[in-house]
Amino acid sequence: MSKEKDEPRSGGLNRRSFLTAGLALGAVGLLSPKSLLAREASHVDLPFARGRRPLVAFPQKRPLMVMTTRPPQLETPFPIFNENIFTPNDAFFVRWHLANIPSSVALSTFRLTIRGRVMRQLSLSLDELTHDFEQVEIAAVCQCGGNSRGFFDPRVAGGQWGNGAMGNARWTGVRLRDLLLKAGVHDDAVQVRFDGLDRPVADATPDFQKSLDLDVAMQNEVLVAHSMNGEPLPYLNGFPLRLVVPGWYATYWIKMLSDVEVLKEHDRNFWMEKAYRLPADPCGCIQPGEHIARSVPIGKMTVRSFITNMEQGGTVSSDAPVTIKGIAFDQGYGIDRVLFSIDGGQRWQAARLGDDYGDFSFRPWVAQFTPARGRAYALQSLAVNRIGESQRFSARWNPGGYLRNAVETIHVRAV
Amino acid sequence: MMKRRQQLLIFSCCVIVLGIALGVHAFNDERLTSITFPSDPITFQAGPGSHLATTYCLICHSAEYIYMQPPHSQEKWKEIVHKMKQTFGCPIPESDIPALLTYLVSQNEIQPRHEVFRAKEEKPALVAESTRPSSGDSSKGQRVFGTYCVNCHGQSGKGDGPIGTSLVPPAANLTLLGNKKDEVILKTIRKGRPGTAMPAWKHNLSSQEILDVLAYIRTLSQ
Repeated sequence: MSKEKDEPRSGGLNRRSFLTAGLALGAVGLLSPKSLLAREASHVDLPFARGRRPLVAFPQKRPLMVMTTRPPQLETPFPIFNENIFTPNDAFFVRWHLANIPSSVALSTFRLTIRGRVMRQLSLSLDELTHDFEQVEIAAVCQCGGNSRGFFDPRVAGGQWGNGAMGNARWTGVRLRDLLLKAGVHDDAVQVRFDGLDRPVADATPDFQKSLDLDVAMQNEVLVAHSMNGEPLPYLNGFPLRLVVPGWYATYWIKMLSDVEVLKEHDRNFWMEKAYRLPADPCGCIQPGEHIARSVPIGKMTVRSFITNMEQGGTVSSDAPVTIKGIAFDQGYGIDRVLFSIDGGQRWQAARLGDDYGDFSFRPWVAQFTPARGRAYALQSLAVNRIGESQRFSARWNPGGYLRNAVETIHVRAV
Repeated sequence: MMKRRQQLLIFSCCVIVLGIALGVHAFNDERLTSITFPSDPITFQAGPGSHLATTYCLICHSAEYIYMQPPHSQEKWKEIVHKMKQTFGCPIPESDIPALLTYLVSQNEIQPRHEVFRAKEEKPALVAESTRPSSGDSSKGQRVFGTYCVNCHGQSGKGDGPIGTSLVPPAANLTLLGNKKDEVILKTIRKGRPGTAMPAWKHNLSSQEILDVLAYIRTLSQ
């Protein structure tokens, strides 16, 4: 299965089959032409140039913010993070790199291959994966490396996301570690490369593959997941299998995972060596215009927090306590505390942390304040993780638009 | 510190719950095993050089990739186009790049409406317009074909142009369209073919030019 394309591609479809299937499969959320027309006036305006995003319902998805249609890149509207600590599957963001995505997956013939520097090559059916290995579940945030890229100043090229290229889910599957142990990894192995069923449109385009160092791949929490929030993965989120690498940016969470190759050398493929790179310093940042002397692949996530129940430029009721809700997360040390400010960071109060679903999950928090009529407030939250890392007050800058974790400010007025 | 890390590790392991039965029935629902993708909702705005963007950029991605970008300098667009050519294998000739750059810069401030929402307003087919399909001029169509179509469909029209064979799916063999009605072919030229690299040409070609191309395509299968 690793390199074979034994299923018809999206290219085999024409507009008619798109519409027909939309009507026939409306029950599972495929969009029909009527639903498209109904969305006519629906869009979200992100607060940067060219930030208008139409809301369109893709298959198995509620209307999401369309950044691009081909390949699909869909952003979760931010209010959804206020309603759910676990992002609903039909609202979970979508990001593909290559447009040649299979239009179907034959479950009976689908195999996950474990190969390369192993004693025994494995070719596992979905049935074997779900019955022959221990099934485990973990709550973890999946966040695109370029989440919030649209807020970079000066702006940078790339996918212009707002803050919604992230989601939190309960992932269920098998430990990658168990599969690698069953295959038996040779002593000379250094990295593990992952490939999904998606392919480039043009032959010359490098196939999308990502690699992890062996010690990362062998971590307990790294899963080959088949389920998300108790349901099979949505097709656009990588059905039938995706790699789950808690704490690491989503670029490593290969969708439609079909091939795992143990390497004896560091992966030199384009997506590791040229793309998704950061300046090789602790900040991962440079001054705009500066040259990057040395770069490293993007890795784990920075600590972040968001206020989720206040709208930028909105109003709050005065003279009674207002509850501010939010979320925080980091790369897996866990959130130690969240601080909250109503005056743009001059004074801080401790927010109250909510239920703990695990170190890799969104952590809910709440804070209260009593607004005075007519006053303007600059609301901020600042998360600190259990090793003392906090968000930054000044946004870091890098040309890839990665790692944003600046303290965000929401301006509201009391009425 | 070490102790703290160990505690964290133990805690992390506890979070991983065992024995979830979800996997057993996870793959029974056949409805979830296939998908259809929407067609591109916007096209490149007509203007000098737009045919280059339509020909080359739309091979791999929708026009939204350009229209979501912040305004980039010509220098930045040059860097991006060269990355597309050298790294991603975009088959654009060097000689066409300056005109493409000028076009991309000209689009910096534009944010087109998603066309998918305007489906109702669109005329159902070109045949509804005053010019009838029979009125194309194949010699004029040959010139249009040589400019816009030949890269993918090839001189012979068999889909063997320099780009055509590398596409997935490959460019269509136009010599096999004998059974296809004019309206079907015209619609494909106007609106493109979802799921393939065939873009919509209605903003780059006039109705007359599209009819001319059709007339020329008809000569290829003779």
